[in-house]
Amino acid sequence: MPYREKIAWLSLVGMAVCYGPYFALTWHSPLLDRPLPNLELMALFAAAAGGNAVWTLLGRLLVRVKTLRDERGPADERDLAVDRRASTVAYYVLIGLALYVGGFMPFTSTGWHIVNSMVASVVIAEVVRYAMIVAGYRRGVT
Amino acid sequence: MKAGRITNQIRTLRFLHGEMSQGDLGRAIGVTRQTIAAIEAGKYSPSLEAAFRIAAVFGKPLDQVFQWEAEG
Repeated sequence: MPYREKIAWLSLVGMAVCYGPYFALTWHSPLLDRPLPNLELMALFAAAAGGNAVWTLLGRLLVRVKTLRDERGPADERDLAVDRRASTVAYYVLIGLALYVGGFMPFTSTGWHIVNSMVASVVIAEVVRYAMIVAGYRRGVT
Repeated sequence: MKAGRITNQIRTLRFLHGEMSQGDLGRAIGVTRQTIAAIEAGKYSPSLEAAFRIAAVFGKPLDQVFQWEAEG
């Protein structure tokens, strides 16, 4: 498996493990309706983001150690092509979600609901990007 | 636009060049072993520059390494 596909899998699992429970706990939760400063919600988010950072750091170190030096060199043209396609799709996903959150949600929601939805938009776009990278290596880019 | 795909003779040419490994060919043209494997399998169409580099490694003209197969 290519080095960058391993990193993409690692990031996908990290997103699921760290942000999955965060959104499961906070989506439509009364936590979102509390007044500022909503420290409980922020602590949950900090735990998810911090957990993801630690997961990514340790995982990348492990993958780096387990991968041959030749295979973890600079990105070659296929790596760049896979990443370019994945980033393009993720960009449109992010723009679509941002337009929804910024343009539609202010009429239907308030405060932390909107903030949390924006965070979710970024996470979804990242998940799409890593999933597209995995698909690019598996199915090919022609 | 007419559909088609790029095929190649890289596997055969590697065999004819002393069973050259995918890693060796990759190093010669500056890509990873997995990228050579993907090109051989038709899962990645290389850039024109990489295609010329591959042809140069085998000392063949480009059209003896890569072919265009029109469909239908």
